[in-house]
Amino acid sequence: MTYLLEAKDLRKQYADKLALRGLNLQIEAGEVFCLLGQNGAGKSTTINLFLGFIEPTAGAAYLNGLEVAANSLKIKQYLAYIPENVMLYPHLTGLENLALFSSLAGFSYKESELLAYLDQAGLPAEAVRRRVGTYSKGMRQKVGIAIAVAKHAKVLLLDEPTSGLDPKASNEFSELLRQLSQQGTAVFMATHDIFRAKEVGTRVGIMREGELVDVRPTAALNANELEQLYLTYMQ
Amino acid sequence: MKIFWILVQYEWRHFRAAKGLVVLTGLVLLVGLYGIYYGTTELARQRQHLAELPALARHNVEELKTKFPEPADAGEIGYYHTTFAVHHPLPWAGLSLGQRDVNPYYVKLRLLGLQGQLYAAENVNPTKMLSGNFDLAFVLVYLFPLLIIALCFNLLSSEREQGILPLLLAQPVSAGVVVGAKLTFRVGLVLGLAWLLSAVAMGWARVPLDGRVGLWLALVTVYCLFWFGVAFIVTAWQRPSAFNAVALVGVWLLLLVLVPGLLNVYVAAKRPVPQGIELTVKQREQIHGGWDKPKAETMNRFFALYPQWRDTATIKERFVWRWYYAFQHLGDQSVQPLAAAYSTGLRQRYELVETLNWLSPAINVQTSLNALAGSDLPTHLAFQQSVVRYHDALRAYYYPFLFNKTPFAHADYAREPTHTFTSTSETPTAVQGLWKLLLSTGVVGTVGLLLFRARPIQPR
Amino acid sequence: MIQSIAQKEFISTLRDRRFVVLSGLLLALLLAATLVGRGSYRTLQHERMVAQQTVNEQFHNQPNRHPHRVAHYGSFAFRPRAGLSFLDAGLDSFTGASVFLEAHQQNSVNFSQAQQSGSLIRFGELTVAFVLQVLVPLLIVFLCFSAFTEERETGTLKLLLSQGVSMRRVAWGKIAGYGRAVALVVGPALALAAWLLFGEEEFAHNPDVWVRLALFVAGYAVYFFLWIVGAVVVSARQRHARSALVLLLGCWMLGCIILPKATANLGATLFPTITKAQMDADVHEAAQKGINGHDPQDQRSAALKANLLKQYGVDSEEKLPVSVGGLVMAESEAYTSKVYQQHFADLTRTYERQNAISNWAGLLNPYQAIRPLSMGLAGSDFAHYVHFQQAAESYRYQLVQRLNGLQASMGYGDKERKLDAATWQAIPTFAYQAPPVGWALGYLLLPALALLLWAVGLSWLGLKLIDNTPVV
Repeated sequence: MTYLLEAKDLRKQYADKLALRGLNLQIEAGEVFCLLGQNGAGKSTTINLFLGFIEPTAGAAYLNGLEVAANSLKIKQYLAYIPENVMLYPHLTGLENLALFSSLAGFSYKESELLAYLDQAGLPAEAVRRRVGTYSKGMRQKVGIAIAVAKHAKVLLLDEPTSGLDPKASNEFSELLRQLSQQGTAVFMATHDIFRAKEVGTRVGIMREGELVDVRPTAALNANELEQLYLTYMQ
Repeated sequence: MKIFWILVQYEWRHFRAAKGLVVLTGLVLLVGLYGIYYGTTELARQRQHLAELPALARHNVEELKTKFPEPADAGEIGYYHTTFAVHHPLPWAGLSLGQRDVNPYYVKLRLLGLQGQLYAAENVNPTKMLSGNFDLAFVLVYLFPLLIIALCFNLLSSEREQGILPLLLAQPVSAGVVVGAKLTFRVGLVLGLAWLLSAVAMGWARVPLDGRVGLWLALVTVYCLFWFGVAFIVTAWQRPSAFNAVALVGVWLLLLVLVPGLLNVYVAAKRPVPQGIELTVKQREQIHGGWDKPKAETMNRFFALYPQWRDTATIKERFVWRWYYAFQHLGDQSVQPLAAAYSTGLRQRYELVETLNWLSPAINVQTSLNALAGSDLPTHLAFQQSVVRYHDALRAYYYPFLFNKTPFAHADYAREPTHTFTSTSETPTAVQGLWKLLLSTGVVGTVGLLLFRARPIQPR
Repeated sequence: MIQSIAQKEFISTLRDRRFVVLSGLLLALLLAATLVGRGSYRTLQHERMVAQQTVNEQFHNQPNRHPHRVAHYGSFAFRPRAGLSFLDAGLDSFTGASVFLEAHQQNSVNFSQAQQSGSLIRFGELTVAFVLQVLVPLLIVFLCFSAFTEERETGTLKLLLSQGVSMRRVAWGKIAGYGRAVALVVGPALALAAWLLFGEEEFAHNPDVWVRLALFVAGYAVYFFLWIVGAVVVSARQRHARSALVLLLGCWMLGCIILPKATANLGATLFPTITKAQMDADVHEAAQKGINGHDPQDQRSAALKANLLKQYGVDSEEKLPVSVGGLVMAESEAYTSKVYQQHFADLTRTYERQNAISNWAGLLNPYQAIRPLSMGLAGSDFAHYVHFQQAAESYRYQLVQRLNGLQASMGYGDKERKLDAATWQAIPTFAYQAPPVGWALGYLLLPALALLLWAVGLSWLGLKLIDNTPVV
C-alpha cells in the first residue's frame, strides 16, 4: 500500500550540522503521529522536508505516494500546514485572509462557509471582521487552523500548533484533530508537549540529534511512562 | 491562471492598505502633472518670446524708415537693421525640454560677420540651469525608478519578514506565480501611471498623433520594465528588505548619477572641443585687419569667392560699404575651418555619448526622449546651420544693392529674406535608443530569471 | 560614558563590511573628484589665462589707428576660475567664460560648458561638492538608519539602559561615533584638496583662499552633523529598521533631488526673465528717446554741440579745439551705459528673486542651504558671476570712454587722422580681481543661518523626542 507520508533514509546536511541522519517513517491515513524532541533535534527540518521547503541531502520524502522534492508544487494540494507561529497579512481581516488562502488552494467558498470554518476553529465572531494586525497570537493560530481545515487535505503538517493557545482552545484543537483523523486525514505533529502528544497521538516518535530513536503506539503507554521514556532518551 | 489573478487582486488590496505607498503613488502622479505643466508652460513662454520677435524687427524697420526717409545706401541699412533667426520647437519639446534652455532659441543678426553673432547667449538664470528642468522626462527618467524601487524593494522579503511566506508557499502555488503576480500588479500600476501622464502630456502639448506617440510610449514602457527587471534580480537574490532597498538605491545612484558623471568627465577628456573663443578672437583679428589692408587686396580675395561682382567699380573712396562687408565676410571665411571644427567637435561629443549610453539606460532614455522631442544638441547644430544659410541669403540679397549701388527703398525691407526653423525629431536616434534599451532590459530580465531559477525561494 | 558609546559605534562601524565597502567607494570617488576637478580647473584656467594674454597683447600691438576703430576692435574679458572652484564648480559650467568688450553695446557672456555638451551634463557633474552634498548624506542614511532599531530588535538597548545610561546620552554617543566614521571618509579628500592648494604658488600665501576653505569645511561639518542627528532621531522614533530606512531615503530624495529642482523652476515661473532681444531693444529705445522718453539723442547731441560752441566762444565746429564727434560719442556712451546699468540691474534683480525662493527653501531643506553656501565660498555662485559681469562692464566703459576722450582731444577732422601705435600700449588691460571672502559672506548669511538653525533645532528638538521615546 502507499502511505500518505513516508520518509526513506531521509538525510539533511547543513553546512555546519547534520540535521537529520537517515529518517525512515511511514504514516497511514487516519494516523496522528506526534514527534517529540528538544529544540534542534530535527523536528522542523523533517516538516520542512515534507513541505518541500528544503531539499534532502540524501533519501527521499513522499507525500501521498509522490516524491516531495520532484513534485514540490503538486504535493501542496494534498497537505495543510500550521506553523508554530501563524503569521497573516496584518491589514486584511481574518475572514479575508481565510478567503485568500482558500482561493489559492483552489476553493471558492461562500462567505457563510468561511464563517463556519472560522467558528469551528474557535475564532470569536466579533474578531472575524477585524484586521489581523489587532489579533493576539492565539487568534492568528485559530485562523491558521481554519485555513488548514478548509483545505480538506489528506495530510496535516503541524509544527507546535497549540503554542499560544489557552488550555481550552488547545483541548478544542485536540478534538478537531481527532475528528479529522477519523475522517482519514494523516496528521504529523511536531511538539514539545508530551501530554498533548499522548492525548491526541496514535503513535509518538522521539527524536534526538537528528535521529528517530524510538517510535511507539500511544495506546501502549500512559502519560507518565511516556514522560519517563522521553527523559531517558534526553539524558 | 485563476490563482494568478486572485493573487493580483489581493496585491491591489495590500497596496491599498499600505498608506505610504498610496501617498507616494499619488505624489508621483501630482509631481508628474506639475512636470507636464512646467514643461508645456516653459515651452509656451519660449513660443511667446519667439512670437514677439517679429514685432521687434518691425519696430527696427520703422525706426530705419524714419531715419532714412529717402532710398538710402544699403550698407547703412545693413549695418543698423536687425533681424532674427528663430528656432521653433516641436510640441514634443514640452515633454522633454532637453537643452532648449541652455542653447539660445533665436539669433539676432545684422549683415556683419556671422561668427561674431552666432554664439550670443540668451538671458537665462544660471542657477536655474544648474537645477535643471522639472519636465515630464525628468519625472519619468528620475522619479519613476524610485517609485518602482519603493514598490518592489520588499516584493517577497516583506512576506518573509512578516512570517507569512511559509503558509503562503504551503499552498499549491509556485513561488514563480506569487512573484509573477506581484510584479504584474506593480507593472500594471506603474505603466498605467506612466501612460496616463504621457497621454495627458501629449494632449496638453497637442502633439501630432503619429508614430512618435508609439515610440515615446515604447521607450517609457521598456525603461520601466528595465527597472522592474533590476528589482526582479534583487528579489531573486532573496536578501532582507533593508538590504534590497540599499542595493536598489545603489543601482539607481550608479545609473543616474555616477555613470553620467563619470561619462561627462570621460567625454570631455576624450573629445576636447576646440574652444569657441579662439574662433571669435581670430575672426575679430581678421575683420579688423581688413581696415588696415590695401582695399584692392581685400577686394581681390572677395572676388575670388564672388566672381560675379568682379566687374564692379574699383574702390577709390576712403570708406565704402561694399568693401566693409567684403572684409566682414572674409573674416568669417578665415575662421571657417575653426567653426567647422567647433561644431564637428560638439557633434562628436554627442555621438560618443550616443555610443556609450548603453552603460546607463537612464542616459539612453533621456537622450532618446530628447532626440524624439528635437531638443538636444544635434537639433541646435542644425539650427545653427540654418542660421548660416540665412546669413548667406541675407548677404545675397544685399550684395546687388551694394555692388550695383542701387539705393535701398522702403519697399525693399519687405522683400528681405526671413528665417524660420522648426526642430525635427531625430527619430533614428530614438529608435536606436529603443533597441539598446530592449537589449538592456532583456539582459536584466534574463539574469533575473536565471537567478530566480538557480535559487529556490526560501520561505524563512 | 558618551565616549565609550561613541567608541563602540565607531569600532562596530569600522568592522561592518558594508560600511567599509561603501565608504571605500565614496572615498575613492571623492579623491577622484578632487583630482578631476583640479585637472579641469587647471586646463580651463590655463586656456583662459592664455586667451586673456593673447587678446591683451593684440590690443597693445595695434598699429596706428583712429581711437574709435580701437573702441570697435575692443577686447575680451575672460573669467578666471576662483581658487576653490575645483571643489565646487557651482554655476561655472552654465555661465559663459568670455565676453566681448566693444563700443556702444554690452555683449553676453558666451561659450558655457553646458552649451558645449549634450544633455548628458544635465545629469549633474561629479564634483567634490556633489559627493559631499548628495552622496555623503546617503552614506549617513545607510550608516545610521539602524542605529536604534537594531539595538531595539536585538534587545541590547534594554541592556544598555539598564546600566544607567539615559537615552539622550546613548544618542549623543552614537552621533559622536558616526561623526568620527564620516570624518574618516571625508577627511582625506579635504586634506588632499588643501595639499593641492598649498602646492599652488598663487594660493599658498593667499589668506583669503584659506579662510574660504576653512569656512567650507566648517559648513560641511555642520551639514553632516545635522544629517547624522536627523538619521539617529528617525532611527530612535521608528519601530522597524525598514521603516526608518524608507523614511530617511524619502527625505533624501525629496531634499536632494526633487525640492531643489522644483523651487528653481517655480522661481523662474513666478518671476519671468526678459529675453535678451527685448532687453536690447528696450535699452536702445531708452537711449534713443531718452530715459524719460522726452530727451531724444539727436537733441542731446545738438545741445551738447551748442554748449561747446558757447563755452569756447566760437561759431563753428572747425574752430573748436576738441572733436565734437568724440564728445558726442562719450555722452552717448555714458547715457547708454546708464540705461544699460538700469536694465542689467533689473535683470539681476529678477534672477535674485528667482534664486531667493530656492534660498529661502534652505530653511526647509538643509541641502538648499549648504549648496549656496558651498558655491559662495568656492566663488562659483551667482553673486560672483554678477561681480565678474560688472567688472567687465566697468572696464569696458572706462576703456571706451578713454578712447572717446582721445578722440575728442584730436580736434576737428579727427576722422582723417590716426593715433600712434604707442597710445594703445599705455592703456591698461582687463585684470579681474575676485572679491574677498568678506564680500561673499554678505550674500551667504541666509544659508549659513539656515544651516545653523537646522543644526541647533535638530539637536534640541530631536533629542527631546528621543527622551520621550518608549524603550520597548
